[in-house]
Amino acid sequence: MKRNIYIGSSLLVLLVALGIGQGLLERRAAAQASNGLKVQVPRFEVDPSFPKPLPNHWYQGMSIGVSVDANDHVWIVHRPDTVNANEAAGDAKTGECCAKAPPILEFDQQGTLLRHWGGSDGDGYQWPSSNHGITIDYKGNVWIGGNGGGDGLVLKFTQDGKFLTMVGKKGVQVDSNSTEHFGQVAKIFVDKKENEAYIADGYGNKRVAVIDADTGKFKRYWGAYGNKPDDANLGRYNPEAPPAQQFRTPVHCAEMSNDRLLYVCDRVNDRIQVFTPDGKFVKEAWVSRKTLGDGSTWDIAFSNDPQQRFIYLADGHDEKVWILDRQSLEILTSFGDGGKMPGQFYAVHSIATDSKGNIYTTETYDGRRLQKFVYKGMQTVTKGEDQGTVWPRKTEH
Amino acid sequence: MIAAQRGGSGQASQSDVDPLWPKPFPVAKHWILGSVTGVAVDAQDHVWVVHRGVDSLQTNEKGPTLEPWASSCCFSAPQVLEFSAAGDLLASWDPKDTKGYDWPANPSGIAVDDKGNVWIGSGLPTPSLAPAGRGGRGGAPATPAPPADAQVLKFDKTGKFLLQIGKGGKTEGSDSQTGFNRPGSVAVDSTANEVYVGDGFGNRRVAVFDANTGAFKRSWGAYGEKPGDEALPPYEPNGAPAKQFRTVSCVKLSKDGMVYVCDRQNDRIQVFQKDGKFVKEAVVSKTTTGDGSVWDVAFSPDQRLLYVADGHDKKVWILDRNSLATIGSIGSGGRYPGQFYGVGSVAVDSKGNLYTGETYEGKRVQKFLIRGSK
Repeated sequence: MKRNIYIGSSLLVLLVALGIGQGLLERRAAAQASNGLKVQVPRFEVDPSFPKPLPNHWYQGMSIGVSVDANDHVWIVHRPDTVNANEAAGDAKTGECCAKAPPILEFDQQGTLLRHWGGSDGDGYQWPSSNHGITIDYKGNVWIGGNGGGDGLVLKFTQDGKFLTMVGKKGVQVDSNSTEHFGQVAKIFVDKKENEAYIADGYGNKRVAVIDADTGKFKRYWGAYGNKPDDANLGRYNPEAPPAQQFRTPVHCAEMSNDRLLYVCDRVNDRIQVFTPDGKFVKEAWVSRKTLGDGSTWDIAFSNDPQQRFIYLADGHDEKVWILDRQSLEILTSFGDGGKMPGQFYAVHSIATDSKGNIYTTETYDGRRLQKFVYKGMQTVTKGEDQGTVWPRKTEH
Repeated sequence: MIAAQRGGSGQASQSDVDPLWPKPFPVAKHWILGSVTGVAVDAQDHVWVVHRGVDSLQTNEKGPTLEPWASSCCFSAPQVLEFSAAGDLLASWDPKDTKGYDWPANPSGIAVDDKGNVWIGSGLPTPSLAPAGRGGRGGAPATPAPPADAQVLKFDKTGKFLLQIGKGGKTEGSDSQTGFNRPGSVAVDSTANEVYVGDGFGNRRVAVFDANTGAFKRSWGAYGEKPGDEALPPYEPNGAPAKQFRTVSCVKLSKDGMVYVCDRQNDRIQVFQKDGKFVKEAVVSKTTTGDGSVWDVAFSPDQRLLYVADGHDKKVWILDRNSLATIGSIGSGGRYPGQFYGVGSVAVDSKGNLYTGETYEGKRVQKFLIRGSK
């Protein structure tokens, strides 16, 4: 079933009476397509003091994963080897600052660094050549993938960094029909009900793969629309062409909602595809469909209400977080803009929420930050409104 | 405010970064800063910024400028920007739109004279550890090397062209009376109506010109000696002090009429009289190699302190101006507020607030409130 997501009607419940949100009226021009419809959406403000500085002159590289654990601790994974010789002048002994931080970093709610580990092979496992994506599962274990050339594995550790499981291996070729290994995994989701791990696979392969979260045994996999995945080169994304019947690489996220729908980021195709847990295609939607290059749908997180009414979608090419209605997949609003100031983004790559409804983002390329956006309750905006940089309304000045 | 001693060494800096300065550009513009290569404060305490513009943006930072259009983010902000002390954008102009002079491939260094005229230098250092940015798929197409920067420009505050010294694309040596080699810093003595040029990233001298006519007046090298362009061996922290400047990355005038020169890759400041007579020198972070430690300097309003932007060690050193002893520092490395990457420009307003500009992929201007400074 394909639904035309541009003509959803479920938003009616979100429409509000006229006359609300005067402070936003000047931005109506940014929401022309909405015909001035008002919608209620969560409001966020960046916390410019989060996180606290790292100790030891540690410097953070491309930051390509974020996850929140049951204690609302924020875990990120970054790439120390992307820290260049100037940034790591301490390591290079040409200056005082700085040194490469370990790739796995845990922060508390105040942004203080807690545990930190990872980066090298250990007994029974290989560290990916380019670690990518982090997930704290329902048992509290830490999963990572890897998108370096030949990375065909996912790894599971305890929060202290003790190795638990490796599925797949390094040094493999792209093969979206392999039941032995993966092809440059972007992200992992673990389903508590069935104890299954859903693998966004990945930068080489073009599929979602499902494995037993303890044994690593392959259980099923599928491609776009639930099709058998095919590794043929699709060429460049063309917004005018009929929708591709395969995922483009990277398949960049796979996240399951409370009502057991799996949302998959088909990044370069600028779309989200939704599946049942057994891989049956449900619906799809495009976000910023004209976006080329790296694509628009980098990562998603769900709002923390039981219904998960909203999807927060990180778009590292348009440099914003889109807020979508989860049922209709319609865009309600967005926040963020390009730049290096708090609340701005360069290559916002990963996104997660905590139990309080706050959002965390990490940025890759030369963004290299973890940012926190504090949930401030609901607000009324014109549908489609581009909120721009969301700073605290009451500053500490 | 956030205490600015982020990840620092424990020295009390008594400074706070204002993480919400300057204010975002208008949302519909989708403007971003490129690598910032100059910051200055004018007589009204307005903050002037020059940056390298679209040429310094990575592919993914300039999606709407690509052919075909690739994303909604972003456009380079105009290359010259004027902010209020509160962080509002007051004016901006993009000199590339006009003709009659040679806008540099890499504008570098900005100064505002007492008449409110805006001076801009040109050129970049020869890369040593400067990074190659990563900007996503496709990469930037190879472009032919731009003409070598060898000019200093003077505009009125609205961007109207007034004067050019030197000629874009035509570099001259340290003995030239008409040209430069990557003159990346400028300072104006409005009383004497003279402009001091830090010349530069290619040459090894300070050169002084009439600020109205551009006529050459005098120049000098390290220790006030005749500058020479012969190749120097790499900087050796324990070696004898070099007899020549290695990189002249700043020139600044104190209120008491002294000329401060940043000899960046020699990790030192040299101080001169206005006639070029050498007075004293100081080494800052002597063991720093690579890009060097002394990128730019600014004075506290009471002239008691000297702030030194150190883009390699990622901090602003605080020196006692009289003794040139290092007495503290602000900042550490990183991409968060109060941290630095490639901090190469520094300026101070009349209230003692400190402004920094970051080049490379720093691409920010930051404001620090210094307590206890006049």
